[in-house]
Amino acid sequence: MSGGPLIVQSDKTLLLEVDHADAQACRMAIAPFAELERSPEHVHTYRLTPLGLWNARAAGHDAEGVVDALIKFSRYPVPHALLVDVAETMDRYGRLQLVNDPNHGLVLRGLDKIVLIEVAKSKKLAGMLGSRIDDETIAVHASERGRLKQALLKLGWPAEDLAGYVDGEAHPIELAEDGWHLRSYQQEAVEGFWSGGSGVVVLPCGAGKTLVGAAAMACAKATTLILVTNTVAGRQWKRELVARTSLTPDEIGEYSGERKEIRPVTIATYQVLTSRRGGTFTHLDLFGARDWGLVIYDEVHLLPAPIFRFTADLQARRRLGLTATLVREDGREGDVFSLIGPKRYDAPWKDIEAQGWIAPAECTEVRVTLTDAERMAYAVTEADERYRVAATARTKLPVVRALVDRHAGDQTLVIGGYIDQLHELGDYLDAPIVQGSTTNKERERLFDEFRSGALRTLVVSKVGNFSIDLPEAAVAIQVSGTFGSRQEEAQRLGRVLRPKADRRQAHFYTVVSRDTIDTEYAAHRQRFLAEQGYAYTIVDADDVLGPPLPTTE
Amino acid sequence: MATTFADRLRSLTDEALGALIQLRPDLVVPVPSDLSALAARAQSRSSVARCLDTLDEFTLAILDAARLSRDAHGGVITVDAIVAQAAGADDADVRVAVDRLRARFLLHGPTDALHLVGAVEEVTSPYPAGLGRPAEMLEPQTAALAADRAKLRRTVLAAPAGARAVLDRLTAGPPIGSLNSAAMAEPVRWLVDNHVLVRVSDVGRMPHPAGELVELPREVGLLLRRETGPLGRLRARPPTPTEPVRNPAAVDSAGAGQVMEAVRNAEALLEALAAEPAPVLRTGGMGVRDLRRLARSLSLDERSVALLVEVTYAAGLLGEGGAASGSRAVHNGRATGTVDETFLPTTSYDLWRALPPAQRWESLARSWLAMPRQPGLVGQRDDRDRPINALSPDAERPGAPTARREALTTLAELPEGTAPGDAAVLELLAWQAPRRAKGREGTHRDALSGAAALGVTALGALTTYARVFLTDPVDEGDPLGVRGHPDAPGDTARALDHLLPSPVDHVLVQADLSVVVPGPPEPELAAELDVVAELESAGGASVHRITPASVRRALDSGYGAGDLHALFARRSRTPIPQAMTYLIDDTARRHGGLRAGPARAYLRSDDEALLTEVLADKRLSALGQRRLAPTVLICGYDQARLLAALRDAGYAPVAEDADGGMVLSRPRARRAPGRAPAATRPTDHPPVVLSGPRLAGVVEQIRRGDAAARATRRAPVTLRGATSTRTTGLTSVQAHGQAMAVLQQAVRDKARVWVGYVDSHGATLSRLVRPVSLSAGYLRAEDDRTETLHTFALHRITAAVAEEG
Repeated sequence: MSGGPLIVQSDKTLLLEVDHADAQACRMAIAPFAELERSPEHVHTYRLTPLGLWNARAAGHDAEGVVDALIKFSRYPVPHALLVDVAETMDRYGRLQLVNDPNHGLVLRGLDKIVLIEVAKSKKLAGMLGSRIDDETIAVHASERGRLKQALLKLGWPAEDLAGYVDGEAHPIELAEDGWHLRSYQQEAVEGFWSGGSGVVVLPCGAGKTLVGAAAMACAKATTLILVTNTVAGRQWKRELVARTSLTPDEIGEYSGERKEIRPVTIATYQVLTSRRGGTFTHLDLFGARDWGLVIYDEVHLLPAPIFRFTADLQARRRLGLTATLVREDGREGDVFSLIGPKRYDAPWKDIEAQGWIAPAECTEVRVTLTDAERMAYAVTEADERYRVAATARTKLPVVRALVDRHAGDQTLVIGGYIDQLHELGDYLDAPIVQGSTTNKERERLFDEFRSGALRTLVVSKVGNFSIDLPEAAVAIQVSGTFGSRQEEAQRLGRVLRPKADRRQAHFYTVVSRDTIDTEYAAHRQRFLAEQGYAYTIVDADDVLGPPLPTTE
Repeated sequence: MATTFADRLRSLTDEALGALIQLRPDLVVPVPSDLSALAARAQSRSSVARCLDTLDEFTLAILDAARLSRDAHGGVITVDAIVAQAAGADDADVRVAVDRLRARFLLHGPTDALHLVGAVEEVTSPYPAGLGRPAEMLEPQTAALAADRAKLRRTVLAAPAGARAVLDRLTAGPPIGSLNSAAMAEPVRWLVDNHVLVRVSDVGRMPHPAGELVELPREVGLLLRRETGPLGRLRARPPTPTEPVRNPAAVDSAGAGQVMEAVRNAEALLEALAAEPAPVLRTGGMGVRDLRRLARSLSLDERSVALLVEVTYAAGLLGEGGAASGSRAVHNGRATGTVDETFLPTTSYDLWRALPPAQRWESLARSWLAMPRQPGLVGQRDDRDRPINALSPDAERPGAPTARREALTTLAELPEGTAPGDAAVLELLAWQAPRRAKGREGTHRDALSGAAALGVTALGALTTYARVFLTDPVDEGDPLGVRGHPDAPGDTARALDHLLPSPVDHVLVQADLSVVVPGPPEPELAAELDVVAELESAGGASVHRITPASVRRALDSGYGAGDLHALFARRSRTPIPQAMTYLIDDTARRHGGLRAGPARAYLRSDDEALLTEVLADKRLSALGQRRLAPTVLICGYDQARLLAALRDAGYAPVAEDADGGMVLSRPRARRAPGRAPAATRPTDHPPVVLSGPRLAGVVEQIRRGDAAARATRRAPVTLRGATSTRTTGLTSVQAHGQAMAVLQQAVRDKARVWVGYVDSHGATLSRLVRPVSLSAGYLRAEDDRTETLHTFALHRITAAVAEEG
């Protein structure tokens, strides 16, 4: 027994005791192959998954090293069966390789003949493989490169893609590092991506993913297609690229519902790409419009399913995925792995915060007690309406105002999921509202005012969840959400996590109605935050409405 | 010969005789009466076979060399000749092997005139060293070829490629091939035609020109083996693997991890069975469905679960018990039919659970070592292609314990940390005792995989505590180690104990409401967490989660909110997060906010004073009423009785139904269920009106039927009696002669008669017929009605009566 910081569980989770002296060394040792699942304050949970082990294998780690790390840091003996399983799983990666054969083009090469025979027989690969060239090689139709990788992953024999990339149309791009520099972790992320060829970089909101994208473009020095979630996020990318690189506004095109510009660097929204007319995707030509040297996917965890299908056809281009989390609500992590690439860089939020790049946030849950009339109304509501009734209780309004007043000097975002409630809040707080129906122009104006400080309080609907850079928001007050989505919580917290000019404390409030389904959803959402290491404080609405308590200041 | 053998035994010193008995212990079971008897037994087939079973590959090869040299030298065996035969091996090794054979008296006599015990021939292959019989025993032409060595060599060299492959195959042994394969027909024909192979018959292996088998004569085999020597490849030393060698500490660590897994999984398995017992199949054993369910709940594969089920059963922790009345209803609907018994943890389980982990493991491992079963068979199919179930008689293998010992002892004899892998161990076993290992590869393999699953071996090597465990004598009085001395663990448990983590008594509570026990929990802590938290992940540590449901369960089982706070404050090394405090308080606040209880009837009134009066009324105190609210009383008796008592006491209550509506209590007049009057009943469909030929046909049919019926009615008394079931046939049976007379007359008259007869089913029937002839014991007669000719056996005719005018 080494008395190490790590405890290995039978279900292949690893518990890391963070207060242990060797915890940091252990984290470095296991991070390449284990995925951080939860990081509450004392014991972090990592998980050994086939994907994680293959990610490690792709990065050049071998099974021996993984086993050694487990044994070295484990406090208790590690079961033999688990060690065997780890070794066997890792051994499966790379038994098959996709390579470019000078004579036959794209081929699937088996370092293990038996595996090649096994997969060649599989029905799932029907139609993807061509003729057998020799014992160890089978021709592959170039168009099936992506789908083949997907299918092989499903069979449990992930192929190593060594077929290389096309360079694409060259275009000079340099980072304009005047008075600023890439942060060290951004530099590492770019290096990790570039040496791996394609893959995903995981960084929290506000950690500067856009800069990682810009730096990757500077490495590629080629025409680039950037896919983003919506138009506002796209304009933000454009602003950032103009400011941080040698690119001029004329070189960057916007391909959205409003404009269809194709330039050396083109920013397109998921929405326009997935829009259909008469059952067919009308904007697919964009992928072939130029000889793209790099494709960047912003917010990979939101990548819509059709984009996966298009991506399967883009396997010869370098692909960079950017995201805050690999957790997909639809569980298609495997498709991200096989189509965009293995994870190339990952940093836990708390670590980045400790480096000072992200404003530390204080999370508070404010519980309001419904009035008897509201309780009665809630009690007789149909099940599918209960959450709306509980979340939009009028009792929340004075509490929200009290919170806004408490942080009178700070930029405050009030976030809600129901339009009626947002209007109530807007009237009550005398603040403008940004919602789905707000025009892009109006949004830009309001966001600009908010950024400049002319506007102190802004009420936003679900549109606020994604990719709006409002770095000066120091306080976020969440009034209602959509049924406890973990992803949403991460996004909303991201709103206030952007670095503040003066390193002020950020605040994240959730106002919930006590003893209703609202509390239950809130509990589900906060669990995600607690797992990310943010402890919640729970306070009673009466404490907020009354004189400010000295402890909360 | 027997006298000589006995004389040789007689001439032995006591020590030498003792040595023989040690080498062949079965010779003295039971103790023979004298040395002649001992000699007879030592030459018996069974004893010789048993002795051969213990010999290694090399010694057996040398025994074959002795047989070959005897054949080659006219029945005389000398040590030198044996050495010459075993040309491929070192002289000294061969002599040592010969000494081994002599010590066992398989070869006896002086070194220059050795005798082979006759029974050896009977219990070993007829082809020593895989060589066929000498050519002269097979066929004259082949013998002639064999005698001319140069010609033989030329012939063999001239063999086509296909024929050469056949020869090589047969040279490696056994020297017998089957002719069935069409592909080999041509090369084999060439060889047979050239007298290189001899056809022999399947039965008795006698040379036969049309035999289905071919045999390679010894001379040809020896010629082809000139490279390796007549005995083929010889391995004087065991193929002892030396690679790879693992660090013993790493082996022990991985093993200890597996030990914890095995013990934990065994406990989880038994707990799962306690929660939902598995029915015992009628054929014995546990059904596949239950095994799958257990595998799912334990997150293990079915193989591992089958092993655990077998081991816990062998350890006496799992047993058959009567189904509880409650669970029986659940199982009744299953395809297995009515189930009387289920697999449940036994009472020993509770004792076992209280032991320290090392001792728990030891009792499991000992039971595994000793159980005469092969768990690896579970899930495979038996001879009749039916799946073998866990705990079923089909998985019984009496040889399994020996096989396990053999496999583990083989590992134990290797240097510490050697991890040869299954194949190398099996090969070593095969060298050590080829006769015994043959056919037991499956059992050995199963032993090795079981050892790895239980942590007896790890990383392919034997753990140090398992070495102790193998040499540790089993305490006969307490084979399970359960009622033994928990304060005095055995050597094995002590060796293992320091490898296992010591139990912890504290937890780490986190803001996401997870509770981590950083090690195996103390029993008391485990019991507490069992109530207040849900287990999320187990292993070296255990992760529990506090949920509203788990807090409610704790409150239900008697904890108060204060108790829970105190529990976590006492057990937690980390500050209690506020979210947890809120969760407990919130849940406790709502706990019991609704109350449910039994009541047979209620009494309500808007007049509170009236209810107070009822409650205070002494005459009604027997009703056991309780006031729930100012306007509601409840009562433990049913509504009718409550009403009657109230009315007797002079009150005027009114009954209410379940919806609160008033129920009038005027008695209802009794009535039968209503029926529709006949007039309104739907009439039958009007009959179809027939006409034409169809109508005529119907009429004729009716007439004919009617004629037959009337005829039957007019059947004479004698016959009617015979056909009736009410009267016994005997009294009404006519004398046979009388019936014959009537029939003969009727043949002459061409008149119709009634014939009573017994049909082939034994029923008595009668028929009005017109006899045509009466001959050869048969009556042939016409039936006018059906216009067919009938034949009656005369002995079956009971009566005949002329038709009455």
